[in-house]
Amino acid sequence: SSNTASSSAGAAGSGDSSAARKNSKRPKYSKFTQQELPACKPILTPGWVISTFLIVSVIFIPLGVISLFASQDVVEIVDRYDTECIPAPARTNKVAYIQGDGDKVCNRDLKVTKRMKQPIYVYYQLENFYQNHRRYVKSRSDSQLRSTKYENQISACKPEDDVGGQPIVPCGLIAWSLFNDTYALSRNNVSLAVNKKGIAWKSDKEHKFGNKVFPKNFQKGNITGGATLDPRIPLSEQEDLIVWMRTAALPTFRKLYGKIESDLEMGDTIHVKLNNNYNTYSFNGKKKLVLSTTSWLGGKNDFLGIAYLTVGGICFILALAFTIMYLVKPRRLGDPSYLSWNRNPGGR
Amino acid sequence: MVRSGSFSVDSSATHQRTPSRTVTLGHIQPQAPTYRTVYCNDRESNQPVRFKGNSISTTKYNVFTFLPKGLFEQFRRIANIYFLGISCLSMTPISPVSPITNVAPLSMVLLVSLIKEAFEDWKRFQNDMSINNSTVEILQDQQWVSIPWRKLQVGDIVKIKKDGFFPADILFMSSTNSDGICYVETANLDGETNLKIRKALERTWDYLVPEKAYEFKGEIQCEQPNNSLYTFTGNLVVQKQTLPLSPDQLLLRGCSLRNTEYIVGAVVFTGHETKVMMNAMNAPSKRSTLEKKLDKLIITIFCVLVTMCLIGAIGCSIVTDREDKYLGLHNSDWEYRNGLMIGFFTFFTLVTLFSSIIPISLYVSIEMIKFIQSTQFINRDLNMYHAETNTPASARTSNLNEELGQVEYIFSDKTGTLTRNLMEFFKCSIGGVSYGCGVTEIEKGIAQRHGLKVQEEQRSTGAIREKGFNFDDPRLMRGAWRNEPNPDLCKELFRCLAICHTVLPEGDESPEKIVYQAASPDEAALVTAAKNFGFFFYRRTPTMVYVRESHVEKMGKIQDVAYEILNVLEFNSTRKRQSVVCRFPDGRLVLYCKGADNVIFERLANGMDDVRKVTREHLEHFGSSGLRTLCLAYKDLNPETYDSWNEKFIQAKSALRDREKKLDEVAELIEKDLILIGSTAIEDKLQEGVPTCIETLSRAGIKIWVLTGDKMETAINIAYACNLINNEMKQFVISSETDAIREAEERGDQVEIARVIKEEVKRELKKSLEEAQHSLHTVAGPKLSLVIDGKCLMYALDPSLRVMLLSLSLNCTSVVCCRVSPLQKAQVTSLVRKGAQKITLSIGDGANDVSMIQAAHVGIGISGMEGMQAVMASDFAIAQFRFLTDLLLVHGRWSYLRICKVVMYFFYKNLTFTLTQFWFTFRTGFSGQRFYDDWFQSLFNVVFTALPVIVLGLFEKDVSASLSKRYPELYREGIRNSFFKWRVVAVWATSAVYQSLVCYLFVTTSSFGAVNSSGKVFGLWDVSTMVFTCLVIAVNVRILLMSNSITRWHYITVGGSILAWLVFAFVYCGIMTPHDRNENVYFVIYVLMSTFYFYFTLLLVPIVSLLGDFIFQGVERWFFPYDYQIVQEIHRHESDASKADQLEVENELTPQEARSYAISQLPRELSKHTGFAFDSPGYESFFASQLGIYAPQKAWDVARRASMRSRPKVPKK
Repeated sequence: SSNTASSSAGAAGSGDSSAARKNSKRPKYSKFTQQELPACKPILTPGWVISTFLIVSVIFIPLGVISLFASQDVVEIVDRYDTECIPAPARTNKVAYIQGDGDKVCNRDLKVTKRMKQPIYVYYQLENFYQNHRRYVKSRSDSQLRSTKYENQISACKPEDDVGGQPIVPCGLIAWSLFNDTYALSRNNVSLAVNKKGIAWKSDKEHKFGNKVFPKNFQKGNITGGATLDPRIPLSEQEDLIVWMRTAALPTFRKLYGKIESDLEMGDTIHVKLNNNYNTYSFNGKKKLVLSTTSWLGGKNDFLGIAYLTVGGICFILALAFTIMYLVKPRRLGDPSYLSWNRNPGGR
Repeated sequence: MVRSGSFSVDSSATHQRTPSRTVTLGHIQPQAPTYRTVYCNDRESNQPVRFKGNSISTTKYNVFTFLPKGLFEQFRRIANIYFLGISCLSMTPISPVSPITNVAPLSMVLLVSLIKEAFEDWKRFQNDMSINNSTVEILQDQQWVSIPWRKLQVGDIVKIKKDGFFPADILFMSSTNSDGICYVETANLDGETNLKIRKALERTWDYLVPEKAYEFKGEIQCEQPNNSLYTFTGNLVVQKQTLPLSPDQLLLRGCSLRNTEYIVGAVVFTGHETKVMMNAMNAPSKRSTLEKKLDKLIITIFCVLVTMCLIGAIGCSIVTDREDKYLGLHNSDWEYRNGLMIGFFTFFTLVTLFSSIIPISLYVSIEMIKFIQSTQFINRDLNMYHAETNTPASARTSNLNEELGQVEYIFSDKTGTLTRNLMEFFKCSIGGVSYGCGVTEIEKGIAQRHGLKVQEEQRSTGAIREKGFNFDDPRLMRGAWRNEPNPDLCKELFRCLAICHTVLPEGDESPEKIVYQAASPDEAALVTAAKNFGFFFYRRTPTMVYVRESHVEKMGKIQDVAYEILNVLEFNSTRKRQSVVCRFPDGRLVLYCKGADNVIFERLANGMDDVRKVTREHLEHFGSSGLRTLCLAYKDLNPETYDSWNEKFIQAKSALRDREKKLDEVAELIEKDLILIGSTAIEDKLQEGVPTCIETLSRAGIKIWVLTGDKMETAINIAYACNLINNEMKQFVISSETDAIREAEERGDQVEIARVIKEEVKRELKKSLEEAQHSLHTVAGPKLSLVIDGKCLMYALDPSLRVMLLSLSLNCTSVVCCRVSPLQKAQVTSLVRKGAQKITLSIGDGANDVSMIQAAHVGIGISGMEGMQAVMASDFAIAQFRFLTDLLLVHGRWSYLRICKVVMYFFYKNLTFTLTQFWFTFRTGFSGQRFYDDWFQSLFNVVFTALPVIVLGLFEKDVSASLSKRYPELYREGIRNSFFKWRVVAVWATSAVYQSLVCYLFVTTSSFGAVNSSGKVFGLWDVSTMVFTCLVIAVNVRILLMSNSITRWHYITVGGSILAWLVFAFVYCGIMTPHDRNENVYFVIYVLMSTFYFYFTLLLVPIVSLLGDFIFQGVERWFFPYDYQIVQEIHRHESDASKADQLEVENELTPQEARSYAISQLPRELSKHTGFAFDSPGYESFFASQLGIYAPQKAWDVARRASMRSRPKVPKK
């Protein structure tokens, strides 16, 4: 009479309950479902904290020393010329001067303070030039640069897309604003050859700029933005353009101009005959000429070395501090009296 | 009892309804004014009406609606709308990013969500199909033919076999049982396991065999389909004869046939029109509190986004100079007319740029994590699998996993949840001697609390154990009682048990096979006990009770004795006792009485003080061990006294007015000068492990309230048994059983009664509250508990008193509400939920718990034992109350912890990523130039950092499961919401700012100038790819730093994500496409990797950015450790496997020692609780009146019916 056979869950109204009753619903054991996967359970004990700091400092301090040495090896000469290269009377209206037609040759003398081994790299450094501006960055057509097939893909290039319906090659603001100051270097009246080959990344030269694409209609618009290009030389050989078009990340940037393949001795004076053509005056941009050697790590930049040293040092100090703290006022691991319900019975 | 005949809407069902959104039980939907006419056995005639078919569908979508409806569902989520908007924005020219940046993640997210929806719907569809395709036999051409359920039509004649489920709502016509009766199990509907009787109309009894049934041409006129389970009105017209139909003739879909070979019936309602389907409620979709807080966090992030964009916009309108000729702004560009316009457009540009600050994949990741948590972890936890009922736990929703980790209040039903609804005779006290060696759960619990291990007690050989009897003491068994000091009193006790009751024996008259049908399981237990003591009650006629007595005259002798029952003085809640006057075969007249100790003690004859005192002590012991006690007494009557009394009794019985009252008065006259026999103690068998579970949960800071329909005594008793209340607590009892109220009730003026009760309740509440506050201010004041009954609660829930009730009950460690209706259960739950803003959990097993389950934050149904109603409404279903420990302390706590970490991590990750963009914006003249390549940005969230966080959400464990249960206090961190506070958000935000600054500044600063020995310089994309690489590494490794438990999956996903980035970079940077794509990043990664600079930076930046978090974590653990961290440290040398053994306490005692120890540990000051509790019939009707539910038949109905059967011509009610 009393039948307590349970109708199993889920069998509401289902006719096949007898079959279901036979099947055990016992879940199968697996480490995953029982949440018993083998696991490493790190506990940040004082020992771990201190040794981590020590390890970091042990690794970082030597690395810092190495990179600082590398940076210190580099000899760098920086010369800002944007103001100096404008004759004193014209300095009240620099923009008018730079936009004027006159001869803008400027002579600069650079002192070599330390022996510089070849190759010596010549850079121009622009400041306050937003090569990373949204409108600027997108104003280019990579496919056009690569192949003549896509000559007409100029939609992104506005406003420097075409001249009278003819597409500009290379189109866009970036190419249009190509840097056009030129430097002629000489030492003791002997000109120093500046090699302008091999200044661009190989991948750019070989893949992004086509060797069959020649400049067309370039700088033919109303306003000339910067340098002109020789229409007989394919883009892949126009390394100035290739360097320029690898847009810089920050408004202060250096770009490679060329390299000098002879050593410079200490005390040498380098004479630079400079054509100051590029208009950075309308936006108060600075222009600098940089001569620099490199180390295996790159140019002169102490940041990495200092950062490594500082972090390594801080870690060492922290390791010391924690050790002292551990010795002076140790916290016993797993002391039940730290449990909140033991600290204030009854709970918060 | 049965409403029949009319077509009117049941008015008593509707007028009591309080409009409440959450309570759907018993809700009556408005009905169409018409009725339906069903032609039985005649498909053609039913054709024109087009009744709905019997196939059901619970799916949300079909093939055609899936895409539109599914997408609509997805876009109801605000985050998705946001991303849709962003995607649209990014198609416009003002966007710095290509649409792919936002469209790709959005479509990925949508795809995953849609696949999940489709999968779930597919499962529902399959479930429907298996139901629709189960077969049933219907009558076709004079024979039974099997057809699938879905082909069943209204009017068909069906045959259901034993244990089969009813495929539709069926009009019961005939059964193989001779008197047109069949037994029905309604467990799926209301959770009651006792069988219900359904009775066919006599007119249709014959239509049983196909040949006969074929001739049946009836016409059923009945109400339109509705969802009221307990009402049905209609008429059956057979051969121009109209017969009224009642719920007695309706067999509902979802029920099953029992104890009947087969039945034949006519289908009335099919498919979605069946009552159970009309009742199927869409459980209100609940969102977890954490998720609501998450919304706040998202809004905050949104505000941050707006601020960032505003800063950028303002900056842009200030710095943009039309003279920047290289920008080509000299052309008349409408965008750049004036500063305001510039700012306006830049704002939206920046919104698209920074959109990644809102973690798009957060919701879908959390959903995935929760889905796996619930389907793989909760549903498959072996610790929550109940082998006896073959029921695993089941998470019916995956929305609330983390809510389980924050529960502060548990509302529990009693019967079926805390108790098994199984009464077992456990101990007794006869003439001042206590018998019975068992140890109750509560005693075990006390022993365990004192660190003693209780072994399973050894039962003496030959001990009898059956349902209702769990008594073990060789002094009484097998006639051994004859050697006890007081054999006569023993004999009286057994006789009293065998005679003084209203139990009906059913079945074979042998001790093994007989089944007792009793009004309450208590009574059955007592009669069973008598049987086992050798007083086997085997037959009852209206006037006689037959008892087979053994060992009475001498050992081994058996004789049948017939006792004539002269009077039965029934039990009710005021009398609290029940008496029987019987005449022995030898003419001896005896009154046997059993009842509450206080009423019996009042009526004892003089000179029994010693026995009384000892018995009282025993009662107190029994009571505090959680046993339900009854006192037994008897009295020899002399014939003259009896005769004169009997006249008065007959008079009272035939009185037309105040019969009950007069009967009570007459009873008083004879129930006096009783001789105390002793007492019985019945264990209201708790579910396994309940006291331990409650103990654990309360250590976890959870407060448990018992809401029950039972009487106050029973409820208090169970509260004692569960250790919710003990004698050291201060109890506030607010009861409607006071003299003042009773007086008012006797006067009978409804308005007056209400006023009196309200006054009384107000007074009591005020008094209690004052006392409670007083005792709170004293340092070691007693813990408080509140007991309140339903009637008082009704008034206490009144808006004017509610605040008082709330503040009183929040001060109490435990609250017991008895005799409450389902609606009140829900009201109490919402009182705490809404009034106190605490997270609540309701647990129950029956239909009357549905409203409370739906009203709480988390609803839990007890599955496996009883019906489906509670389970269907619940969010989680478990088989046993004790599994709450695992569900809350392990799964809940972990889920909470995991979801918190996942959310925080997402927040941190996206903030870090977006902030690098933001810093970059400052250096681009606020132009909104993107820093990262489109694909990098769009894949950052959905590929390069997607999996580790999911692994974290699945496998993160602060301490192991066994430690979680061993230190329940750890749970309090969830209640306090320690891991999702604004403080925690601030820490993560700081970390994000720090890391983004390190990643951005270190890389940009160090990359200035020549970066290799051949003097070449980096462009924008080289630098950004460098930063991105550092970010991917830092953000992924951060996962390892924040994990407490690192599995191989952590390594695989973290390593895999970083590797995925590199592989992607290699491939993506290595290809050129013919499309007009800016090949910004072409070859970038190779260029980077050709420099030493790359490796130096890669070592420096991630380590420096993680060092900040590392220091923070080190300092936090050292100086401000979380509890779980201490626990980790305590158990740091243990592996998981060894923990289970260590939990065992070494201290082992023999059962005897354990028992004596446990008893000695029981509270000494045994005040008033003596454990009286006795379930009387009638309380069930209390619900009925409250909710307009037709009270389902109970066992005593069966009993009454059976006793009526023997008498001729009993008018049916």
